[in-house]
This record gives sequence, C-alpha cells and structure tokens, in this order.
Amino acid sequence: MTDSYFKWAAQLFDAARIHEKPEALHGIRVLDLSVIIFGPATADFLGELGAEVIKVEMPGQGDVTRILGSASFFWKNVSVAFFGMNHSKYHVGIDMHKPDGQALIRKLAARSDIVIENFKAGTLEEKFGIGYRQLREVNPRLIYVANTGFGQWGPFARGRASYDGLAQAVSGLTAITGTPGGHPTKIGNYLGDWYGACMSALGALAALRWRDRTGEGQFVEMAQCEGLLRAMDWTWLYAGLTKRDRPQTGNRDPVFSPSGVFRCKDGYVALVAGTDAEYRGLCRVLGKPGLARNGRKDVDRLDGMIQAWCEKRTRSEVEKIARRHHVPAAPVMTGKDHYESRHLRARRSVWEHDDPVYGTMVEYGPAPKLSATPARIKWAGKPVGFHNEFVLKKVLGLSDEEIRALEAGGVIGKWADRMGAKPPDGWNGEGLLQ
Amino acid sequence: MSERWYDWIKREEDPARVSELPEALDDLVVLDVSQGHYGAFLTGTYLAELGAEVIKLEPPGGDPMRGWGPADVTANGTGLAFVAEARNKYCVTLNLDKKAGRSLLKGLAARADVLIEGFEPGYLDRLGLGYRHLAKVNPRLIYVACSAYGQFGPDAPGRPREYDLTDQALSGLLHVTGDPDAPPVRVGSWISAYAQAAWASMAVLAAVHWRETSRQGQMIDVSGAEALMRYLEYTVLLYHATGQVRGRTGLYELAVFPYTFVRVKDGYAFIAGYTDPNFQAICRIMGRPELAKDPRFNTTLQRTNPENEVLLRDEIEKWSMNFSSDEILEKVLADPGPGIIVFGPMNPPTKVLTEAHWWERGCFKRVEDPVYGPLLLQMPVWRMTRTPPRLKWACRPLGYHNAHVYAKYFGLGPGRLAELKTKGVL
Repeated sequence: MTDSYFKWAAQLFDAARIHEKPEALHGIRVLDLSVIIFGPATADFLGELGAEVIKVEMPGQGDVTRILGSASFFWKNVSVAFFGMNHSKYHVGIDMHKPDGQALIRKLAARSDIVIENFKAGTLEEKFGIGYRQLREVNPRLIYVANTGFGQWGPFARGRASYDGLAQAVSGLTAITGTPGGHPTKIGNYLGDWYGACMSALGALAALRWRDRTGEGQFVEMAQCEGLLRAMDWTWLYAGLTKRDRPQTGNRDPVFSPSGVFRCKDGYVALVAGTDAEYRGLCRVLGKPGLARNGRKDVDRLDGMIQAWCEKRTRSEVEKIARRHHVPAAPVMTGKDHYESRHLRARRSVWEHDDPVYGTMVEYGPAPKLSATPARIKWAGKPVGFHNEFVLKKVLGLSDEEIRALEAGGVIGKWADRMGAKPPDGWNGEGLLQ
Repeated sequence: MSERWYDWIKREEDPARVSELPEALDDLVVLDVSQGHYGAFLTGTYLAELGAEVIKLEPPGGDPMRGWGPADVTANGTGLAFVAEARNKYCVTLNLDKKAGRSLLKGLAARADVLIEGFEPGYLDRLGLGYRHLAKVNPRLIYVACSAYGQFGPDAPGRPREYDLTDQALSGLLHVTGDPDAPPVRVGSWISAYAQAAWASMAVLAAVHWRETSRQGQMIDVSGAEALMRYLEYTVLLYHATGQVRGRTGLYELAVFPYTFVRVKDGYAFIAGYTDPNFQAICRIMGRPELAKDPRFNTTLQRTNPENEVLLRDEIEKWSMNFSSDEILEKVLADPGPGIIVFGPMNPPTKVLTEAHWWERGCFKRVEDPVYGPLLLQMPVWRMTRTPPRLKWACRPLGYHNAHVYAKYFGLGPGRLAELKTKGVL
C-alpha cells in the first residue's frame, strides 16, 4: 500500500507535466516597484504561483542587486545574486522621478491587482504621488503591499532603514543563535528578507481572498523585523515567565536531545534523537544498545560518542545507517550537493531551464508543490527595460510613436551599457518582444 | 492629501480597532491534523490568525507537541512551544486508530476547505484517509502534507521524522552559517517550521483562489528542508555558473559589504551601507570621508573583495568601539544624507521587550489565561487596513471544544459524546 502511495503521488505531482497544468494565480497582475530582495521576492513568489509580474526599474542601471558581489559573482554581465527573486517577470524601465513616469505607474496600477513596494514608509505618496491613497483612487480593488524594516509607523519607523542583518540583530534572533561568548553569528542567508517576503505574499493572498469575497482592496504591510520576532517560537513566553533570555545552545536543539551537528569524513551531519524510540535506535547505531536503559541524562557524553562514531564515516554512511534504525540524520548539504541531487531535480526544487538570454540556468525552484496548479519558473530575470514595448503595448495600448516619445523624454528606458544592467556579450536579440 | 501618510496609516492600522473589522478567511474551515509536527501546526496557526476556523484534532492522549518546550519552564504543565502557537484553534480529540474515529474525520473532511497533516508520508493514506480517499467525499478539499523530503521523489519513501535541525542541514542554511574555519551554526529558533508554514499557507490561499473558478481542490506537498532551501538565494546558481561552492563567511559577505556586526562600547551592533552613496554616508558619520575614495573601498566590487572586507571592518571597529550603540544610532539619525545607513544594536530578547516601538505597534501582548496563566505572546505580523489578523485566545486544553465541534458538525449531544469517549473514539 505504501509503495502504491508513492507511485500514486509521483504521478499526481509528475514534474514532466507541470507546464500542461493551469496556474493558481492566472489572471492576477502584480506591479513590482521594489528593489533588492524583500520586495522582489514577494512578487516573485506570487509569480511562481502564476501571477503576471511587471517589474519596474530605473532606466539605465536598474535594481542594485544586479551589481552586487565581488568579481567572482559576475556571470554573463550580471551578478548571480539577481536571479533568485526575479523569475518570469516582465522588466520595464520607468523613471518614477518624472511626472510622466508617475502617470505611467498610475495607469499600470489601474490595470493591476497587487502593487508591491519596499520604499521607506510614505516615500511613494509624498515624493512620487503614487502611494496607496493615490492609487486606490484609480483602482479601488487594488491590494497594496508595503514591505519595510520597522513598519509604516511607530517610533523606529521614523528615519530608520533596515536590512535583513539588522532585523536579525534587533529582533533578538542573533542573541538566541550560536554559543555564548565570541562574536555574534550572522545567519548565512538573508533570512529576514526571504521569510518576510513569504509572509508578505501570504498577506497579499489573504487580501486577495477577501477581495474575491467582497470586491474590496486594502493596504497590507509587512515589517521585516517583526517577521523574525514572530518566528522565534517560545522565546517570548520564556522571557515573559522567567524575565530571562532563553540560553544560547549552539547546535543542540533545546527541546530535543541528543541533537547536534557532527563532523564526518566529508563534511557534517545533523542528527536528532528526540523520542524514546529514536533514542533506542541511536543506541543501536552506536553499537551500545545497553545505553538505552540509562536514559538520556548525560547528553555531553552522548554527543562525544556520536561525534566519535561519525568522524570515521562519510555523511552518506551516517545517514544510511541512522535511517535503518529510524534515527533522523541528514547531511549538511552544499550548493554542489543540491545541484547533484536526483531527488531535488525530480521535485524541481532544483530547476533547470533554458533561457533565451542566459542559456542553461540551474536555480532553486518553487518550494510548495501543488498537484493541480503547480508553481513554476518560465524564464530568468532579464536586462533592464527588456519588456518595455511589450508591456506598454499589451497593458496600456501605447503606440510605437508614443513609446518613442517617452523614450526621448527619458521617461522610459532600457539598460545602459553597464555591468549588471546589460545583456550578455554576444547576445543576438533572442527573447525580445515588440 | 489633507492628512499626512504617517498619521493616516497609524490610525488605519491602530491595534485597538482590530476587533471591529472583518476577517479575511472567516468563511474557511481548516482541519489541523498536525501531530508532533510543528510546521503543519504553524500552518493552521497562520490561517487561524487570518480568520479561518481551525479545528485541531488530537489523539485522546493529546498531541506530543503539548509537551514541547524548554525543560525548566512550562505554562502550568504545558510546553511553551505548544502554547506559543496554539492560538485561536478549536481543540478536539479524535482517535484515528478506531474505525469510528476515522469515519468522523472523513465526515469533517467532507465539510472542510483545508486539511493539514504532518505524518510520515503515506500514513493517512494507509488508513484510507489520504488525499485520494478524501477527494472522493469532497472534491473541493485542499489537502496539505508537510514532511522533510516530500511526498514524491527518489528519496521520499522510508525517511525518519522531520526535525528543524535536520531541515536546516538539508536546506544548505547550516552550511553557510558560521565562521569558515569552524563548524556550521544552527539558527536558534525552529525557522524551518516557520518557513514551511509560510509556504504551505501561501499555497493554500492560492489554491483557494483557484478553486473559486475551477471548483476543484488539490493536494499540496511542502518539505521543510525545501522551504528553507528556497531562501538560499544564489547558492545553486553560483555552482552552476562558476563552479564555486558557497561556504561560510562568518562576519563577512560574498555579495555586499559593509554588512556586518561590529563591536561597540556596550556589546555588538549591526551596520550596513554597501552601495556607493550609503558607504559614503558611513564614512561621513565616522569622520573619515577619505575612506570612501580609498581605492580599496571605493566601489561595490572593491568592497566585496574578501581581503578588503577584513580591512574595512577593522576600520569601522576602530571608530565604533568608542561609542555605545545608542550614541551611534543618534549620529545615524542626525545624518542629513545623501545615503542611508542601516544600524542597530544586537539585542537579547529581554532588551527587545523594553523597547516601546514593538509594544506600540502591537507586536506583543500579555494575556492572563484561565488555564495557562500569565502569557507573553508574539502577535500576528500582518497589518491589513480592512481585514487585520488577530489573537482571540491563546491555547485551549485537550478536547476543550469537543462538545461544540461535534454538535456543530454531527449534531452529537452529551450522551453520544460520552459513549464515544468510553469507546476510546474521542
């Protein structure tokens, strides 16, 4: 029966059929006015689920993410950091500092379902005249999503900017990560941006649900620091009851023991034996079934025994032996491991696609798998203003003459001949739409 | 605009008026069949905050999660991890080992919009309660399964239970967190469960939207490891494009700099300003404008050169260690621009709780629970002007809502309930 379950599930989610199936957010248009990660990823996640995303950038250089990183990051004239939050978007270069640029944004917003921005609170309204109160005049059904560090209001919202690293620091997450003493641990990815973007997209979809029911749009805001505060499980309850900070416990999960990250011959594994059954399994793994009778009191000693056992083996040997005894153990995977994983490829969690501008791309694919309306990647991020003509004609019905005039006035534009903004050397114009 | 944006939005989002406004999801019924699975549990929590009626089904002995939390403190005997995220749910017992229990679940699924589970893949299917069975009684059902390796793919069968730590390992997050010459470091909270729940709830609402026109439900498969892996930005593309394996960089960064922790008089603080104008602003408040023109630091490319990062961080510390984080923040806020400096102290949780900002915005709430005592809870994150999310109650004991839910969905009265309880069904 279990075998037949996996066979059935494999068919239900068959990755080869993803593009034959409909998209959950088909017909929803997202106007993405944001830069870097937090905003663009919010739009990207909705795009993975089928929304049409129009990404607006400053003509010339575009989103700063295009030029981030040291020399080793540049690939085909752009930073590899740009792609992870810019899939399947339509790229438009509009100068929002110009009144005619603002007028274009208002027209696009009138024809959109969701607007996403991550400017400092109030900037779009006060500086550009295209804030929520102005855009809802042209589109009362609009869902307007604003991402910031500290929120639209409140003492810290005045004048304080935020990045993910700051959110880690001020939320308390840094303080509960790692071991006491030494310098703080900066989490290796931009966790506050990505998790914040996920929550922001979730808020947008809750608003869409309300609009489906009532026709009403609304303003949705998500603050990055508050996202991480929210994701700290029992930290606050503990502080409330004890007036103390929860201790830093390094790689040992404070609720499940033994647990930790152990060195192997070829890297590290994480191992947890949180239940009695898993603990008995672990004792068998270590070749000391008698240990099970002693309970799990001396965890430091156990950690030492697990470490001694692991270091003689590879990650995969540890994982396999542990699995035979129903002990959760997993390799600490690298980008190379992800790239080479048959499993992740079969699930399209590692997604290979052929892009008209960038050629073969291998990226992380959508995380949730939906059987009837699978999320997907269609193409990679594109140079600045790549879809100007297509979007302005398709959505706003502008003529070639009108488009040329906007270009001449510097209201719209494409990539400058600059790293990050421009297409790869030798690109032959493939993929452009008129 | 006659009223300033700041004042208008503050009034619109006033936490005090949340309860006067409608809820985005109050027409959805969600069955939370998470047992010993925090990511599935949290999926129900998010939906409950946004207004859904979430029925948490537990075995008669209780969900093992009720015992999860730090060993030294509980909320009158219940684990803090459970109490922290059990909000707004209806707590009901149901024994899936009994035939009558299984048919009650089927009956509930026939009427529900969403079912969330975190069992070993295939477990509910073996009981005749998998998606393929429940879709027969309710084609509109959206069925969410949470696990570490997913419901399909070569590695899906036969894997042990999902834990946050093993998810952090598989996701690649562990590999990139910590110092290059030291072991990887785990993120302190159960972050993979939060990520898994965010993806799962997002997928649920996308599926609910699609169902409006298609009239069809579907199955959703979310791995906690992949949930976090999707946040690993360019890690796999970097390998594909350049053959580089992204490793740990500790206080340094591959993509942006300065973007790091530095020592200050009273501990550590975070500081960032990696684009040219923002870096120039940092140099300005340090009183070192010439540093912005230094050929080692004058472009983003130069600043992210690994050797220059170390030199630059040292330069910043030479200055930052002379001031407290409050003093530096004052300088940052007084700087007229151009450029934006991102700066803030590394705060332990008890310090965070002393800051007025979070309280004014309603990020935390103290409640006096009749069963669990005084609780300090983090609140829903979204601000929504029309349908704000909310906290209704913190946690309820095992089976607290049995009478209510079984009367509402099956018309069962006290006599019949007592009988089912005696038979071990509830």
